[in-house]
Amino acid sequence: MSLDFVVYMMVNTLLVIAAAPFFVSFIKKVKAWTQGRRGPSVFQTYANLAKLLKKEVIYSPHSSRIMRVTPYVNIAAALVASLFVPLAFVPEPVGGIGNIILFLYLLALGKFFMALSGLDAGSSFGGMGSSREMSISAVIEPTTIIVFAALAFVFKTLNIFTIFSVTAGSSTPVTPTLILLGISLFIILIVETSRIPVDNPETHLELTMIHEGMILEQSGRNLALMELSSGIKLTLLIALLINLVLPFGLGTTLTVAGIAIAAVLFLLKGVLLGGIIGLFESSMSKMRFFRLPSLFAMAFFFSTLTIIIEVFT
Amino acid sequence: MAGETVDPAAHIFEIIGTVLSVESMTRGCSNEIYVPVSEEEFEPVINLLTARKFVLIALFGAEGFRYFLGTSLLYVFEKRGGMVILVRDADRPVSSIAAMIPSASWFERECRDGFGIEFTGAFDTRRLFLHETYPENFHPLKKSFVNGPIPTKPSIDPADEYPFRKVNGEGVYQVPVGPVHAGIIEPGHFRFSVIGETIFNLEVRMFYKHRGIEKLAEGKSPEWCIRIAEAVSGDESVANATAFCMAIEKISRIPVPDRAWQLRTILLEMERIASHLGDQAGMLLDVAFPLGASQFSVLREEVVRENERLTGSRFLRGMVAIGGLSRDIRKEQLYELGRFLDQFRKRYRIGLKIVLSTASVIDRFGTTGIIRPGLLRPLNITGPAARASGGKVDTRVNCPYGIYTRYPPIPKILKDGDVISRFTVKAAEILDSVEIIRKLLASMPEGEVRREALVLDGYTLSLVESPRGENLAFVWVKNGKIERYKVRTASFCNWQAIEHAVQGNIVPDFPVINKSLNLSYAGTDL
Repeated sequence: MSLDFVVYMMVNTLLVIAAAPFFVSFIKKVKAWTQGRRGPSVFQTYANLAKLLKKEVIYSPHSSRIMRVTPYVNIAAALVASLFVPLAFVPEPVGGIGNIILFLYLLALGKFFMALSGLDAGSSFGGMGSSREMSISAVIEPTTIIVFAALAFVFKTLNIFTIFSVTAGSSTPVTPTLILLGISLFIILIVETSRIPVDNPETHLELTMIHEGMILEQSGRNLALMELSSGIKLTLLIALLINLVLPFGLGTTLTVAGIAIAAVLFLLKGVLLGGIIGLFESSMSKMRFFRLPSLFAMAFFFSTLTIIIEVFT
Repeated sequence: MAGETVDPAAHIFEIIGTVLSVESMTRGCSNEIYVPVSEEEFEPVINLLTARKFVLIALFGAEGFRYFLGTSLLYVFEKRGGMVILVRDADRPVSSIAAMIPSASWFERECRDGFGIEFTGAFDTRRLFLHETYPENFHPLKKSFVNGPIPTKPSIDPADEYPFRKVNGEGVYQVPVGPVHAGIIEPGHFRFSVIGETIFNLEVRMFYKHRGIEKLAEGKSPEWCIRIAEAVSGDESVANATAFCMAIEKISRIPVPDRAWQLRTILLEMERIASHLGDQAGMLLDVAFPLGASQFSVLREEVVRENERLTGSRFLRGMVAIGGLSRDIRKEQLYELGRFLDQFRKRYRIGLKIVLSTASVIDRFGTTGIIRPGLLRPLNITGPAARASGGKVDTRVNCPYGIYTRYPPIPKILKDGDVISRFTVKAAEILDSVEIIRKLLASMPEGEVRREALVLDGYTLSLVESPRGENLAFVWVKNGKIERYKVRTASFCNWQAIEHAVQGNIVPDFPVINKSLNLSYAGTDL
C-alpha cells in the first residue's frame, strides 16, 4: 500500500464524515425555502448529532443483542464503503477496494441490520418499517444491479477508482450515455436514502414511515450513529453521481492544493445536486407504496437503454 | 334540499298520527315535536320513521323530563329540517335499536355510562366514555351524583381490559396506534387488523379526554354556560356557542337584531374557512407534499390572525352572547376584513391550482378512503364528509337558522366519497364562505348587536352547521339555571364512518383519510 493510498483513506473518510451532516441539512434547507420558510441552519445536523452523542442510550426490554450491535455495524459498513468512492482525489486502486459489487453489498449489510433492529424491539411501527424496507429492497435490487452493470459495461471495469480515473479531468460526461445513467443513479439515490416520493424523512406519522420506522426505537449515541451512517450513504451516492457526470476538478495526483480545490469543488457540486434533490422532493408527494415499482422501472429503463446504446455504437 | 314548501312539522304529524294519537304531540320552541311513547308503541314508531327515511340524529337521557318522573330517553329523528323527539320512559327495561339503526349503538352506550340505562338486546354493551379505571355503577349524569373527584381504580386486571373486536385468520396481525401520537394531536386509540399493508378492520376507541362538560353545565347560569359551550371543541367555538344561544333565544323568545346575526354569520363562516384550511394543509402534509401544505398553513394562520384582529381571540371566543353578540365590530375592522378576503381569495386560488395540478397528489387522493353513500343515513354522517359522498345535507340549507335563508350557501355535492372529493368540497366551501361574508359585509345594517332579555324556563333543540357537520344542542332551563345541556357534535357520528372508509386501504393511507374527515376528539368526548 503506497503512501498516496494511506493519505487518500484518511482524507476521503474525514471529508465524507465532515460533509455528510451538511448535505442532510442543506437538502432540508432547500425544501424549507420552496415552502417559503426560513428553515433550520445548514449546521443543524452537526448540533443534533453532538447532542445525541451526549445522551444516554435506552433499550427496550424486549430487544436483544441485535439492537445493540446494529448502530456499530451500520457505521462500520458506511465508513468502509466511504473508502470506495473517492470524493476529491483518485489514487491507484489497491486490492478489492473500489469494487462496485462490494460497495453495494456493504450498503446492503447496513440495511439488513437496520431491518433486523426494526423487528427486534417488538414495536409494530418498527416491524412495518422493516417489512416495507425489505419489500422495496427486493424490488429495487434487480434495477440496482442493472444500473451498475451498465456502468461497468460503459467503462469495461468493476472498479470505481478505475472509472473515476477515466472521468477525472474531463469537464463534461465522458460519454453521452452517462447522462442516462445519471438519471438511473439519481433514482437509486432517492430510493436508497429514503426520500420523497419513496419515503418521507421529515414525517412524524409512524404509520407511513419506512426508514424512520426502523430507527424509531434507537436513542442517544446509537441514534447518532444511525443518522450519521444515513448521511454518509447520501454523501457517497452524491459523490458517485457527481464524479461520473460532473467530474471536473477531481484530481489523480496527490498535492495539497489539488485536494483542497477538488474538495471545495466537490462541496459546490454537492450543493448543486442537493438543491436538485430538494426541488425534486418538493415537486411531488409521496407515491402510493404499491406504485413504487413504476419509479424503479424508470431507472431500469434508462440503464438498459445505456447498455443497448453502448452495444450498438 | 327541501324543494317543497310544506311545514315539516305538519308532515311529521301526518306520518306519526297513523300510529300515535295526535293529542299526545306537542310542538317545541323550535317547531320540533315531542311525543311520549310507550313500550308497545315504540317499535312500530321506529319502524315507521326508518321506513320514511327519518335519521336518528341524537339519543340522550334526561331526568325528570316532562312526561316521566325518572329518567327519560329522548330519541331525536330528523328529516328535511323537521324534527321529532320520541320520549321513552327509561326506568323500565328498554330495548336496543342499535341493530336496526347503527348510529344508535354509540348513543346507547353513552346513555348506559351516563345514566346506567341497560338496553336489552344490544349487540355492543361495552362501556364507552367511562374507561376501565372508573368504578362500577358509576353514572355521572344522574342527578344523585354530585360532581366531584371520584376514587378510580389504581390498576386494572388484564381480564377487565377493554375487549376490542377480535379479528382472526391467517396473516392477520394487529397494529395498535395511540392514544398518544407523534405530533400535536388529540388522544385516540386505533386498533388496526392488517393483512400485509391492507387494512382489514379498524376499531376506533375514543374518550381519553372526558371533561364532564354536561355535568359541569348543570346548575350554571345560561351566560356562564356559553363559556362551556365554547370549550366543547376548540375550533368549533362559534358553532357550539351559537347553537347554545339559539336554543336559549328560542326558549325565551328573544329577537336577535339583524346586525348581530350578520356578524354571527361572519364569525361562523370565518371559523369554517380556518378549519377547512387546516384540514387541507394536513391532508397535503400527510401525503408528503409540504410545498402545498405550507401555503394552506400560512393562509390558515392569516385567517386566525384576522379573527384575532376582529374579536381579540384567534378562535373567536367570547363574542357570541345570548340575544346577539357581546360587543360590536367596528366599521373600519369590517372594511379591513373585506380587503383581507379579497387578497386571501386570490392567493387561495393560486395555492389550489398548484395542488390540483400536481399529479402525484391527485393520485394519492383519488379512490382513497371511500365513504359509500349508503352509510350516510344509518350512521348519520353529516358535513363535508357527507356532501363528498353525494349526501344533500347542509343544516344551513335544510334547516336554515339565523339569516341563512337570505344568504344561502351553495353546497358542493360530489358523488365519489373519496379523499379528493372531500378536498374539493372543502375548497368549494372555503370560496363559498368568502362569498357569503362579502355579501354580508356589503349589506351590513346599522344598529344594536344585542337584545337584553330575561331568560325564561323551557327546553328546546337547535342545529348548527359547524365546519365538520351538523352540531346539535339540547338546552333545558329550569328556574333560570341549566337543568340539562347536551351537545352532539358532528364528529360523534362521523367517527364511525372512518372505520368503514379505511377498509381495503393500505396502512400508510390512514393518516390522510383521517385528516380528510378531520374529526374532533374533544367534540366527541364531552
